[in-house]
Amino acid sequence: MKLEYLVDGAVQAVSLDKKDGTWKITAAERTLEAEILRISENEIVLVAGGRARRVFLVRDGDRWLVSAGGREFVLAPARADAGRFHKGDERTPDGGRGVRSPMPGKVIKICAAEGDECRKNQTLVIVEAMKMENEVQAGLEGIVRKVHVAVGELVDAEKVLVDVEPKAA
Amino acid sequence: MSFTKILVANRGEIAVRVIRACRELGIPTVAVYSECDRRGLHVLLADEAVPIGPPPAVESYLRQDTIIEAARKTGAEAVHPGYGFLAENAAFARACAEAGLVFIGPNAGALELVGDKVRARRTMEKAGVPIIPGMSAVPSDKAEFASAAKQLGYPVIVKASAGGGGKGMRIVQDEKDLQAAVEAGMREAGSAFGDSSVYLEKYIAEPRHVEFQVLADGHGGIVHLFERECSIQRRHQKIVEESPSPALNPVLRSRMGETAKRAMLAAGYTNAGTVEFLLDADGRFYFMEVNARLQVEHPVTELVTGVDLVRQQILVAAGERLAFDQGDLHQRGQAIECRIYAEDPSRNFLPSSGRVLFLKEPCGPGIRNDSGIYGGWEVPVHYDPILAKLIVWAEDRETACRRMGAALDDYVVLGIRTTIPFLRDVVRHPEFAAGRTTTAFIGRHFAEWKEGGAGEEELRLALAAAAYAESDRPARAAGAAGKGAAKQVETPWTSLGGWRIGGSGE
Repeated sequence: MKLEYLVDGAVQAVSLDKKDGTWKITAAERTLEAEILRISENEIVLVAGGRARRVFLVRDGDRWLVSAGGREFVLAPARADAGRFHKGDERTPDGGRGVRSPMPGKVIKICAAEGDECRKNQTLVIVEAMKMENEVQAGLEGIVRKVHVAVGELVDAEKVLVDVEPKAA
Repeated sequence: MSFTKILVANRGEIAVRVIRACRELGIPTVAVYSECDRRGLHVLLADEAVPIGPPPAVESYLRQDTIIEAARKTGAEAVHPGYGFLAENAAFARACAEAGLVFIGPNAGALELVGDKVRARRTMEKAGVPIIPGMSAVPSDKAEFASAAKQLGYPVIVKASAGGGGKGMRIVQDEKDLQAAVEAGMREAGSAFGDSSVYLEKYIAEPRHVEFQVLADGHGGIVHLFERECSIQRRHQKIVEESPSPALNPVLRSRMGETAKRAMLAAGYTNAGTVEFLLDADGRFYFMEVNARLQVEHPVTELVTGVDLVRQQILVAAGERLAFDQGDLHQRGQAIECRIYAEDPSRNFLPSSGRVLFLKEPCGPGIRNDSGIYGGWEVPVHYDPILAKLIVWAEDRETACRRMGAALDDYVVLGIRTTIPFLRDVVRHPEFAAGRTTTAFIGRHFAEWKEGGAGEEELRLALAAAAYAESDRPARAAGAAGKGAAKQVETPWTSLGGWRIGGSGE
C-alpha cells in the first residue's frame, strides 16, 4: 500500500508492505522493517531492532495529528486543491491583500482608516484573545483600502480584517 | 473548626487543585461555571455545581453577586477564589463577609492595601523594605507620566495598579513610545481587572524575579516558606518557576525571607501570600509587590517544603493556628514548574483554543501534573490560556532539569497547540542548566526560537503510523475514504472491505 500526505507543505510518500509478520516501511527516503502493534485507537507502536517507538495519533477532520518521538506532525491529504495554507497576505478577491486575524478573538482597536498609507509591520488592528492583546500588522507597505471589522466584533481565525493594496513597485 | 462546604469561585486547573484539597479535608465542594464550562473538569469533580452566566468573565466568574448567591443557595460556608478573577478583590472579600461567608484569603483590609500597588509601596518604604524608584501615586493627569518618566530616567515600566500576571505592563525605552504604552497598559488593565489605573516605575534591566511565600495565621503566627525563582518570563508572564533559586545563598535567603515577613506584618496580612522581589546582579533586592492570593507556581514550594499550601489556606481561614514555626521549615531537593499554555510557540504564541482531541499526561517518580483539561475538552477562547502545570521534584537541580525534559517529552496534547515544544528547549538550554536565569533569558536566548526541524526518523514513524491507522480503520470508514483520507495511490484496503491487518485481537 502506498499513501501520500502533505506535511509542512511538502508531499511525503509512505509505503507499507507486510512480509512474514513484519512490515517493510518506506518513507522519508529510507526503508525499515518493523513490527507494528496497535495498542489502542490512538496509539501505534513500531518495534524495530528491538526498540519500541510509541506513536500517538488522532483524526482531525481529514487530517491526522501525530506525535512521534516528542514531535508533532499534521498529516493532511495530498490533494491538488488541499493544503494551501492561507497566510496573512493572501490575495483577496478584490485584488487587495487581506490582513487576517491569526486567531479567534475580539477586535479591541482599529489603528488605521480607509485611505491611510501603511508601512510594512505597522499595527492595523488589535485583537484580544485569552486576555492578551495581539497586534495584527500589515504584511507589506501599501494603502488601507477597506476595514472589514468594527471594534467589539468577535472574529474567527483567518477572518480578513483589513484590505491593504500593495504600493506600486 | 472547619467548614462544612466550600464554594470554589474559579475554573480550570486551580479550581481542580482546590477541590482536591477540600476532598482530602473531607469538605464538600461547590463549583461555579459559565455556559462554556458546563463540561469543565472542575465541574465534573465538584460535589455540586452552579451555573453563573455567559462565557465572558465579567458576566460570570467576575459576578460577585451571582457567586455569593450561589454560595448562599448551596449552603457553602466559605469561598476559595483561586488566583485571578476575584482572588484579589477586596470588595468581594467584604461582600463575602457581609453575606456571612468566609473568604479564603487575606483579610479585606490587607487585601485593599497590597492590592493598591502604589499604597503598598509607600507602606513598605515606611517599614524599611527596599523598593524600586517610581511614582508614588496614580496620576490624575496623563501629562504627569511624561514628567515622571523623565525624572526616573528611561527605561521605565508601565504597571497596572490593580495588576498581576504581566497584564497592563509595558516597558518604555523612549519618550516617543510612552503615550502609546500608557494607553495600551490602561486598556489591558481595564479589561483584565476592571480598573485601568497605571503608574510608572524605573525599569531594572536583567534582574532575577525572586519571590517569597508567606503564611500568616490570625493569631500572630507568621512563617516564610522560602523562595521561588520566576525569572523565566515571556511578555512578563512567568513560564518556568523553581525552588530553590540558584542565585541565593543561605545568608541572602534568610535576609530576604525576614524582609518578606516584615513586609507582610506591615500590611497586617493574613493567610497565604507572596512577596515579590527583583534581585539584581549585585545581590540587591527590591520589593515589587505582594500577590495576595494562592499563586500559580505554589506547587514548587509545596514540593520542596512538604507543606500543602491550599490546605493551610483553608485551615488558617477556619481560624486555626499554624501548626509549625520557621524552625520547622526546610527546603529539600529541587522543584521546577513549567506552565503549559494553549499557545502556538511556532506562531508567535498565538492563543490556540479548540478541542483537545487526544491527551497523554506524563507520570513517574517526582512528577506532578496540575491540569484543568482532559481528552475531549473544548478549550474556550474567553479565559487565560493556562491548561496545566507540570511540576517535577528531584534531589538536585541537574536531575530536576533532566526529569522535566523527559516529562515534557512524554506530554502529548493533540488538537490544540501548546507551549510544550518551547518549554522543552528552555529546560534543556545550557544557560538554564547553569542557573543563569534572569528576566532577560527568553528575550536573549529564545527571541528567534523555532521548533527544531523534525528529524527524518520521527517523520518516518509518523507517516508509517498514520498509513497503518488508515488501513486499520474499521470497514465503516472505508466508504468515506475517498473524501477524507489521504490520496491513495493503490487501494487494496478499500477493495478488501472489512478485512483488517493483524488478524484477531487487534
